[in-house]
Amino acid sequence: MQFAIGLLLVLTLACSVGSVINQGQTYEYYAAAYGERAAGAIMALQLDDLFHSVWFILLSAFLCLNLILCNLIRLPSLLDLMKREQDPAGSLGSRGSVSLEGVGDPEGFFHAMGFRSIRTGQGEEGPWLFSVRNLAGLWGAWVCHLGILLLILGFGLGQATMEVYTIYGLPGDSAAIGETGAILSIDSFDVDLREDDTVEQYTAGITVRRPSDGKEESAQISVNHPATLFGMKFFQNSTGWAADIHIKKSGEPLQDQVIYAGDYVPVSDMPDLVVYLNAFYPDYVNSPEGGPMTASSSLNNPAYLYSVYYRGQILGMNALLESEELTIDDYTVTFDNPRNYTLIQIKRDRFTLLALAGGLVVMLGLILAFYLQEARMWAVRGKDGTWTVYGACRKGGVLFGERFLEEGKKHGAAEPPQKQEL
Amino acid sequence: MSADKFLQIENLLFTVVMLLYFASMILYFAFIAARREKLAAVAEILQGLGFVLHTAALVIRGIGAGRLPLTNQYEFATSFAWGLCLVSLVFVLKYRFQVLGAFAAPVIFLIIGYAAMQSRDVHELMPALRSNWLGFHVSTAIIAYGAFGVSFVLGIIFLMREGMKDQSFLDRHVPSREKLDLIGYRSVSLGLLFLTFTILTGAIWAERAWGSYWSWDPKETWSLITWLIYAIYLHLRLRRGWRGRAAAIFAIVGFIAVLFTYVGVNTFLPGVHSYA
Ligand code: HEM
Repeated sequence: MQFAIGLLLVLTLACSVGSVINQGQTYEYYAAAYGERAAGAIMALQLDDLFHSVWFILLSAFLCLNLILCNLIRLPSLLDLMKREQDPAGSLGSRGSVSLEGVGDPEGFFHAMGFRSIRTGQGEEGPWLFSVRNLAGLWGAWVCHLGILLLILGFGLGQATMEVYTIYGLPGDSAAIGETGAILSIDSFDVDLREDDTVEQYTAGITVRRPSDGKEESAQISVNHPATLFGMKFFQNSTGWAADIHIKKSGEPLQDQVIYAGDYVPVSDMPDLVVYLNAFYPDYVNSPEGGPMTASSSLNNPAYLYSVYYRGQILGMNALLESEELTIDDYTVTFDNPRNYTLIQIKRDRFTLLALAGGLVVMLGLILAFYLQEARMWAVRGKDGTWTVYGACRKGGVLFGERFLEEGKKHGAAEPPQKQEL
Repeated sequence: MSADKFLQIENLLFTVVMLLYFASMILYFAFIAARREKLAAVAEILQGLGFVLHTAALVIRGIGAGRLPLTNQYEFATSFAWGLCLVSLVFVLKYRFQVLGAFAAPVIFLIIGYAAMQSRDVHELMPALRSNWLGFHVSTAIIAYGAFGVSFVLGIIFLMREGMKDQSFLDRHVPSREKLDLIGYRSVSLGLLFLTFTILTGAIWAERAWGSYWSWDPKETWSLITWLIYAIYLHLRLRRGWRGRAAAIFAIVGFIAVLFTYVGVNTFLPGVHSYA
């Protein structure tokens, strides 16, 4: 257990380090933020990706090993304890942690203390009563540890085997989903706006086809409402703007295609010349600081912030309205037909349910450990016909003792309370 | 009645609740300073009344906003104070322990004071936040935080008790060390159970909204850190000699982690939870 506490402490420290150091950055970033020596240490100790580092994974594996061993070792003694706690003979000879003499109504007392089924018998010194409650509570820690194990296992296996794909596009587009052999088609995409121009919901209609057996499944997905098709889960993840770009050469149409904000299009007959769509503004205005911004998300005044590169060198950058043309030597470029595209995330994690089950088992274990306190009560009848009642509760301590004395008095304990230390 | 009317009533009630909590805190201080039990009884009644009106304020805000009032920093802060008040009242009544109420009062007042500094505007929610899981997630967090707040207060009382003279005024109103430790354990138990539930419902919601149930976002990581600290607390208590003082210190450290998870992470560390 000492070891477990140490392990939990180290894990706690590791997690706080991982939350303070910005994860997934480069050496240069850390050198600028913390100095070169610290940056060297961060890279060497894998603190830049701490939660996936070898040592963090080893530490978690160690925790699992510890939990497995702990639960295995404790299983026989727990079973044994269960047996002992249920056996009246084990209790009747002892004096419990609290006791009261002169109780007239022991059954009422037992019931008031939450003991329902009472066993009776005849001993050498007279009749006795015995009851044990919340035996399941003995299993709390064991069940909790099992749950943690399942949870870590489910999470780890999920991380190791999970497949994730992202596909973005406009209604009508189709794309293969990685190597799964399935094809995703985007049937529709709607952005519902509220009156105040904020977004109510993004909804995409999708169809997945599997050419190998010709099967097809469709669904509507929106934020918070993913769908599962062919064992893969589809999430409406995010959105952005796309538009049509038209390039003419000497006045003749050369190229018409879709361009996504944040993406570029090389000119077809001169690939060294590249048009980049930095951003799109549906309702273009100048911000008070002078930069471009959008006044709303309605298409009142669409503007396209582009830049042009030739062999990696920037030639220019500006905002272009739909009525305007960009001219580069013989080429003219225009943009129109802006619309929202959808970004869909596709995920296959076969172990999510295992992790969820682990979490639920942890909850169950905690409820057992905290709210089903195992306890015993027994009573022996004396010569005068009144009963001496004993009680014992592993985790109840003085709180159990106090309640015992209080209820006992209500049920006719005549003698002043006697406290005994176990 | 229009939504604005509801929010106006809520605003008014919120002010009254703050005043009641403040008055109860002052009376509790007076109880300790003047050693008059009557003052504590009045303080308890004011706190109880504050709690009832606080409940009403939250319900009215929920009606006015047309959703659970648990989605921005103001709503969460006021609910946090409510949760702490709820759990502390339950513990005060269950264990007949007025001094707990006295020590909880300043913490409740600080949290509701923090709420008062936040914007009370009602905004429509972004799609990712419009989920029933959000309701489960945040309402379980409120109970967990309230319970941890109580264990923090109990930890402080425990440490103070060590310095109290026998049979001094407070000594007579504070349970024995063993009992304090047990009550502290009960409050940590309640908190840890609900924190587990909070993390679980948060993970389920994150999976539906963002496609990943655990991504080591700083807020997630800090809730795990909090969870681990209280797990260490539980194991420490099982070791002979560590029950009591060490456990009390861990209960205090744990609540500091809770506060950091709640306020610090949004302020100092980046992540998806920062949009509130
Ligand atoms: C290295 C990993 C761990 C080991 C070896 C370990 C070991 C133990 C042992 C030996 C006990 C005593 C059982 C008893 O007396 O009934 C215990 C209790 C317990 N453990 Fe762990 N533990 C570990 C991690 C955890 C974690 C991460 C949690 C998360 C909350 C946890 C939750 C509990 C609970 C709830 C109890 C019962 C405490 C009580 O009833 O007061 N354990 N653990």
